[in-house]
Amino acid sequence: MFLTLIRRELLANLITFRFLVAMVVTLSLVVANTVVLIADYERRLTSYDTAVTEHHQRFLRRTSTYSQVEGAIRVDRPPNPLSIFNAGLDRRLGNSIAIGHTLVPTLWDTRSHSADNPFLNLFSSVDLVLIFQVILSLLALLFAHDAIAGEREAGTLRLMLTNAVSRSVILLAKYISALACLTLPVVMSLLLALILFSVSGSISLTGDDWFRIGGILLTSIIYLSAFYLIGLLISASTRRTATALMVSMVIWSTLVLIYPSLTVFTVNRFWQTPSQLESSYHEIEQIWESFERERMDFLRNDAIEGEDLNTNILYSGSWEAPHISDPTTLRYSKAEIRRLRIKPEAEPLMPHVKAYFQFSEPRRIRAAERTWQIRQKALNHIYVRKANVAKNLMRFSPAAMYDFATEAWAGTDFHGIENFITTVQRYRQTIIDYFYDKKAFSSRKWFSVDQGEVDWSDLPRFSYRRRDIWKGMQHASGDIACLLLINVVLFMTTFLIFVRQEV
Amino acid sequence: MIWHITKRELYDHLNSLRFAFTTVLLIALMLVNAIGYLGEYTAQSTEYQKKISASLDKMRSNADNLYNLFREGPGTLYKKPSALSFCVNGGEAFIPESAEGVRSSFGISSDDGLSIEGIWQMAYPQSNPNLWNIMPDYTNTDWGDIISIVLSLVAVLFTFDAISSERERGTLRLTLSNSISRGTVLVSKFLAALVTISILFLIAALINLFLLYTSGSVLLGPSEWGRLGVIVLIAFIYLSIFITLGLLISSRVSNSSTSLTILLLIWTVWVVLLPSTLGALTSGLQPTMTSDEFGAHRQEMHNNLDAQYDFRRYTDNIPSRQIPATEGTLFWSKYVTEYAKREEKLSEEHLNAQIAQIQLARSITRISPASSVRYAIESMAGTGFTRHVQFLGHVRRYGNEFRTFLIETDRADPESPHAIGPEEGTSQKPVRFESIPKFEDRVSFSGAYNAAVTDILLLLLFFAVLFASAYLAFVRVEV
Repeated sequence: MFLTLIRRELLANLITFRFLVAMVVTLSLVVANTVVLIADYERRLTSYDTAVTEHHQRFLRRTSTYSQVEGAIRVDRPPNPLSIFNAGLDRRLGNSIAIGHTLVPTLWDTRSHSADNPFLNLFSSVDLVLIFQVILSLLALLFAHDAIAGEREAGTLRLMLTNAVSRSVILLAKYISALACLTLPVVMSLLLALILFSVSGSISLTGDDWFRIGGILLTSIIYLSAFYLIGLLISASTRRTATALMVSMVIWSTLVLIYPSLTVFTVNRFWQTPSQLESSYHEIEQIWESFERERMDFLRNDAIEGEDLNTNILYSGSWEAPHISDPTTLRYSKAEIRRLRIKPEAEPLMPHVKAYFQFSEPRRIRAAERTWQIRQKALNHIYVRKANVAKNLMRFSPAAMYDFATEAWAGTDFHGIENFITTVQRYRQTIIDYFYDKKAFSSRKWFSVDQGEVDWSDLPRFSYRRRDIWKGMQHASGDIACLLLINVVLFMTTFLIFVRQEV
Repeated sequence: MIWHITKRELYDHLNSLRFAFTTVLLIALMLVNAIGYLGEYTAQSTEYQKKISASLDKMRSNADNLYNLFREGPGTLYKKPSALSFCVNGGEAFIPESAEGVRSSFGISSDDGLSIEGIWQMAYPQSNPNLWNIMPDYTNTDWGDIISIVLSLVAVLFTFDAISSERERGTLRLTLSNSISRGTVLVSKFLAALVTISILFLIAALINLFLLYTSGSVLLGPSEWGRLGVIVLIAFIYLSIFITLGLLISSRVSNSSTSLTILLLIWTVWVVLLPSTLGALTSGLQPTMTSDEFGAHRQEMHNNLDAQYDFRRYTDNIPSRQIPATEGTLFWSKYVTEYAKREEKLSEEHLNAQIAQIQLARSITRISPASSVRYAIESMAGTGFTRHVQFLGHVRRYGNEFRTFLIETDRADPESPHAIGPEEGTSQKPVRFESIPKFEDRVSFSGAYNAAVTDILLLLLFFAVLFASAYLAFVRVEV
């Protein structure tokens, strides 16, 4: 009996006009957008590849002393192929960071190696998840609005119940068959997208990626089920189909389109930037001032007393002391970069110069680390918290939850980008360890080239692998659990209303 | 008779659930918008004035020597904030708010006393503030979005059953059995929906304006009121498009629920998804240089310049203050002028390519009236991309004016060798600050109107086509 019911509902849904139209619309949008997104991904990939070789070559060409490493190593973030499913922050945020021992890199130090036309930001991007989020949720509500109200109006509900079928079975049959019908366009879209992937040939998916796509599929089904149940609840509690339809559309437009935008707008407008920025900047300045004091003390007490290194040594060549300070992102560092030729008269000074760098550079590293601790806290407090508040408020809409969960699966969410930054920070540590191993700070090659340039062949290279799937799952799980909870609550409510209702 | 039916329809609408929903939604959105923009314009104008006066102070301090003006240029030129920015935020975050007349990157000095610096050139800053933006990606709540998304949805919700439900109930046949033409029925249904939604929109908009106006957040002069009036008019045209679309589908489809399904799918694709999809699709047609490619291109330009004017041969030929100018002075003058000209040309070409890419994408996104209406409102409100292009036009004109002024002032000085570029070849007389042309950015009603007129015509065309088809469909349909 149960199977008969499911079959009947399935057929009833599949042959409808709305299903056909929604299917055609979804698939054509998916194809059009996937083609665009793949082309975009390929462009970003080429740009990434050129950037990597270009940055490495530039590094080899321009860097001949250890101190010149500061800011000369640039590492790049490869584009994420799953950004086609949910672009998230992958396309938007900076993807290239310079590394040095005087600054611990953060997201706020990134640049973009593929900086395109900045006006292109005027067009927002459409990804596959957005299409599902908008069109299929609409379809779910269209399926659901007359599921109960329509049958009641037509009188078929009463007819059905005269057989020995319990109400729960009817409800369950309707739910299962509608879900199957909603899954169909999702699966077909994903298959189409994957076919287009394999045709383009530029996208290579790893085993992990298949799991991630599976995760996105699962989340999509849960999301659509939530919308179907919202529609079913409305359908069970209204008398007329027309009313059910109106209420459904009102709820759909609010949840999917209006509420998320409204939330971001409100948070953007009313969020007061905490005053912490200024005090943190002051603290950071003090760290570097105290470093500067120590450095000057050292110079004063050493044999080359009272004389500044910059004017003292008899050299030719280049030196610079880049001093970065940006109060809005709390970026602060002071470095000393030298590439000198020592004149013979200055030779006796060399041990002092070496001692100076051996003294100053580890202290710079320490200052950089202390700066980072303050900076990290302040930036999290100011920028990350704002985004989190906005996201948490948006979570009142299942559409936003779905967006966040799929973003986490794809690894294009904030945590995914953060993972890259952490890898870069670890790489910086490797470079510093490499300096210590080579005794670079006390070496003559730190500042001069007259005893040959540094051989970079054993410099550790940067490599980045996307966050593993468990982390993505962890970040997605909260939203998925919420969506499941919504499903359960809605189903129970609908069931209770339906069971107690007069037919 | 037409008023009779319209009145009947109006009463019908006033009693409906959707009327209540629309009222709540529109008023809530407009309130949020007003509260969000409270004090925004005042803050923007103060900031703008501060920046302008800083820029002018710098110019004044440079005015004590004409050569300084040649070297430093007019300074940063700022775009004037629009009082109507609450109407539509045209991606202001991605559009630079200034252009720069700045020092050249060229400079050379040698131990023999040669010291040459380049002359000023116009530069167009390209910032990508989105690089660090971790906020979720959603649209604004401004008039533009309220009109383009909410108002069109409301129009669809009001009209999807206008004809189909009457046919279902049989009242349509009853109405037509009187001596009423079908055209009259259609027009009165159209008018009823238009009047209902327009009144709701006007009430919400007036609440919004009242809040902003009484709090002193915006100063609305006659020009602003005029532009607001046109914006409201544009909203009505746009609204009419979707009302007629609703009537068209509703008269062709027998069943209200099918009618709504089709309408909603058309609406989602046309209004929500198509503008972005087409934007992404067409911007790939005409890709511009990336920043790295531009850097390489610029390097090549410098190499070419060096090949043409080998300035290393002239490093001993130090310019001097002799009249007539010596060979060295003339060479450096020519070199520095050419350098500035080519740099400026290069950055201008890059900018023009970028603008052309966006213009093309924008003209294709106009397939969706949601894009057209946004662009029209942007133009009228004086925000967004069109406004930026206008601003760049002003900047260019001013740049030429400033340059001509400098050259003429130099020519008027008998003690100058008239070899502009090196310090020795240029007049060093102080310049009267008041006589220097100042940059003034303005948003004019006629300029705004000219920019918006294509979009308005396009919207009218959409409306005309849809209305004609709705009429034909309704006349030929069996009741």
